[in-house]
Amino acid sequence: MKNIVKEIKSKFSNHHDFFIEEELVDKTAIYLIGFNTLIDLPKSKLYVQQIAASSSSVKALFINLSDQIEVDTEQLLKAILEGKLVIVSKDNEENVIVDPIAQNLSRSIEEPKNESAIQASMDAFGEDININIGMIRKRLNTERLCHSSYQVGDLDKRRLSMLYIKGRTPNILIEKVNQQLMQINSDIETIDDLNRQFGKRRLSPVSHLSTTELPIQAIHSLKKNRIVLFMDNYPFALVFPNLIWDMFSIENDRNFPFVLTFMLRIFRVIGAMATVVLPALYVALVSVNPGIFRADLALFVAKSREGIPLSAFLETILMVVIVDLILEAIVRLPKSVGPSITMVGGIILGQAMVEAKLVSNLLVIVITAVVIASSAVVGMQNSLYIRLLKYPILVLASLFGILGVWTGFIFTVIYLASLTSDDIPYLTFKIEQEGDTK
Amino acid sequence: MRNNNFYKFLIVFMSTISLCGCWDIKDINKRSIPLVMGISKEDDEEYRLTLQIPIPKSNNQISRIVTEKGESVASVLGKIRTNSENAVDFSQIQLIVIQKNLANNQRELRSLIKFLMGSEEIPSRALVAITDDNVDKVLSNINDKLGVNASAIYDYFNKGVGWAPELLNTPIWEVYRSPFLSTKDIAVPAVRAGKDTVLVFEGSEILRKGKLIDRISPEESQFINMFQNKNVKGKIENLGVATVMITNSSVQNKTSMKNKKPQVLSDLNLKINILERKEGTTNNRIRKELERVTEKRFYDLLKQTQSSHTDIFGFGQQFHHLISYHELKDWRNDYYPNLRVNFEVHANME
Repeated sequence: MKNIVKEIKSKFSNHHDFFIEEELVDKTAIYLIGFNTLIDLPKSKLYVQQIAASSSSVKALFINLSDQIEVDTEQLLKAILEGKLVIVSKDNEENVIVDPIAQNLSRSIEEPKNESAIQASMDAFGEDININIGMIRKRLNTERLCHSSYQVGDLDKRRLSMLYIKGRTPNILIEKVNQQLMQINSDIETIDDLNRQFGKRRLSPVSHLSTTELPIQAIHSLKKNRIVLFMDNYPFALVFPNLIWDMFSIENDRNFPFVLTFMLRIFRVIGAMATVVLPALYVALVSVNPGIFRADLALFVAKSREGIPLSAFLETILMVVIVDLILEAIVRLPKSVGPSITMVGGIILGQAMVEAKLVSNLLVIVITAVVIASSAVVGMQNSLYIRLLKYPILVLASLFGILGVWTGFIFTVIYLASLTSDDIPYLTFKIEQEGDTK
Repeated sequence: MRNNNFYKFLIVFMSTISLCGCWDIKDINKRSIPLVMGISKEDDEEYRLTLQIPIPKSNNQISRIVTEKGESVASVLGKIRTNSENAVDFSQIQLIVIQKNLANNQRELRSLIKFLMGSEEIPSRALVAITDDNVDKVLSNINDKLGVNASAIYDYFNKGVGWAPELLNTPIWEVYRSPFLSTKDIAVPAVRAGKDTVLVFEGSEILRKGKLIDRISPEESQFINMFQNKNVKGKIENLGVATVMITNSSVQNKTSMKNKKPQVLSDLNLKINILERKEGTTNNRIRKELERVTEKRFYDLLKQTQSSHTDIFGFGQQFHHLISYHELKDWRNDYYPNLRVNFEVHANME
C-alpha cells in the first residue's frame, strides 16, 4: 500500500522544491516528505536520526517525534503546505506530522521603520505572528489577555489573531468582531480586505483599523478596552476600532512630563486643523472676502500677488497637487534617489515658481506650513486622509469664501461623526468598559 | 438606489454652483482698494468724492487720488466704479473725511451718514473725521511726505489711547446712532493737512443730533476719552513749574438725584511721573498744580457744553436707573444744564 506516498507525490508533481527522502530506521524504510524551501532538510534529517537512535522501533520513533500520528491524507497535504515535515513508513501503516527545523524566512525583531519613537523602547513588530503575540504577552503578564486565532481565506488560508483583555473590552464588541472574522470567505491580502469585513466603508478615507508598529501602543490600546488584531506576515498590530484621538496621541508621549505631552498633542490638533483649513482660508481671503483683512495686511497681500496671472484657486490647487505628488514620489523612490528629488522639488516650488511669478510668495509659505502640519499627526494613514479632506473644503472656499470654509469644515466634522465601527462612533474618545471579568 | 443618490447629490451640487456667483469673484490684486474717502460739496450743488487708492506695485507705496463729481454720493460711487481700471472694493475704507461746509448742513450730514451706514460695501466701522481744509489736499498730502505708507491715515487713527491720549476715533455707526440717543452726544475729530506730518489734529467737533455745535481743543477732547474710561497714559502736561507725564488714569462716578437735580461725584485718579521741574518745586506743589489745572479745564468745558445742551461726556448714561425713560428724552434740555458735577482730581506720584 504505497498509495499515500504516491498520492502525495502526484499532488505535488509540479513543485520542484518538493522532496521525498527515503531513510532506513530499524531496518524499515521511512519517507520524509516536505518542501525544501520551507524545511532545513539536512538539519531536520539529523534530528530525526538522533531520535531514531534512541527509539526502539519505528512506532516508538513516531511517538517520540510528535503526537500527530496516523492522520488522514487530507491533513498530511495541508501540513506539507504549511511547512511541516511528514514522515510515512514504507508499509504505509504509520505516518506522523513533525515540526521540523525550518528555513529562517522571517527577520528578527528590529527597530520601528514607519513610526519613529523618541525616548521609548525600540523594538517593533515583525512578520511572524507568533513573535508578535509573544511580544505582547511578554509585556502584559495577565491571564485576562485572551487570544483567539482564525484561519481565513479562499485560496490561501491566512492566519489572523484577535487579542483582547477580558473584563476590559465590551463583550458585545468581542462577539461582533468574532462573528465578522469567522464569516470571512475571501482572501485577506491587505488591510483594506480586512477593513471591508467590518461593514461598508468602501468609499470612506477613514479605516476601521488603526495600525501601529510599537508593542507599547498595542498594549495601551488593549488596556483602553480595544481589540488588537494581528495578520500573519504583516508587521503591524491592527487596533479596532480606529478612533479620532489615535491621530493625536501616542502612548509614548507620556514618557515626557504631562505639560510636554499636552503641548505635543495640542500641536498635532493644530496641525490637523491647519492642514484642512489653511489652503482654503488662503483662497477665501485672497479672492472672495478680502474685506476682513486689516488694511495694511490687505495691501501686503495684494502686493505679494501683483502680476500673478493665475487665480487664487488655480494657483492653490496647482501647488497643493504638486506638493502631494512630491510627497508620493519621495515614498516611491529608492532611498538613494529620494534626496535629489526633494532638492529639485524644493527649488522648483520655493524659488523658480515664485520668481516666474506663477504663484505668490505668501502661498508658498502657506503650502509649506500645510505640508509640515499634515505630517505632525500620528500615523501615515491619518496624515493621508487629512490631506484628502482639504480638497473639498478648498473647492467650497473658492465658491463661497469664508462661509464655504466653515460650512466645509462643519460638514467634514458631521461626516466624521457619522462614521461608526460596530456601533462605536469614530469621534468617541473612550470606549466604556462593559465586559465582565468572568 | 445608490446611483439614484449619486444623481441627487450631483443635482444639489450643480445648483449650489449657480447660487454662488463665483464668476464675480475677483482676486485681491485685481481689485482697487481705496483706504480713505473724502466727501465735499461745491457751491451746494454737486457732491465731490475723492478716494485715496494705494498702488501696491512699487516698493515704497504711493497712492493715487481719484476724484469724481455727481448729484449724489451713490451716483458718484457708481461713476468711479465704471471708470476705474480695476474692480473697486470699498470694504477696506478706513476713514471718511467730510469737509466742514458739507458737515455744517445738518440735513445733508444726516442723510450722508445714513447712506454710508446703509451701504453694504462701505464698512460701518470706518472712522469719520471733519476737516476745514480742502478734502483733496488732505488726501493728496500723503504722497508728498517722505517714507509714509499708503495706510498712514489708517495708522494715524489707530495708535491707541496709550500713545495719543487726545486723539478721538469715532466710527460711522456711532455717528449714525447719536441722533437716536437722548443722553449722550458725540465728538468727531477735526483734522487738517499738516506741513510735516500727513495730518494735524485740531480738536473735536461736537455733534448734537447730527448738528455741528462747537469745536473743542485737543486738551478738552482728552476728557472724552477719560470719561469713557480709556486709559490716557502717555499724556504730557506742562504746568509751568514742572512737566509731568500721566502714566495711568481712571475715573469713578457716583450719581444721585437731589431735588430733581442730577448730581455726579466724579473722582479722577491720575498717576504721574515728573519729567522736569523748576528748582525748589516740591512734589506736593506739582500735584496741587496739576489737580487745579485739570479741574479748571473740566469745569470750563462742562459749562460750555451745558450752555449748548450737549452731553459729550455721556453723564446721562449713568442716570438711566434714576430717571424714567420718558423723562430721559428731555435729558439734554431739562436735566443736563442743571447737572452738578463734583469733580475731584487725585494725582499720585508713581
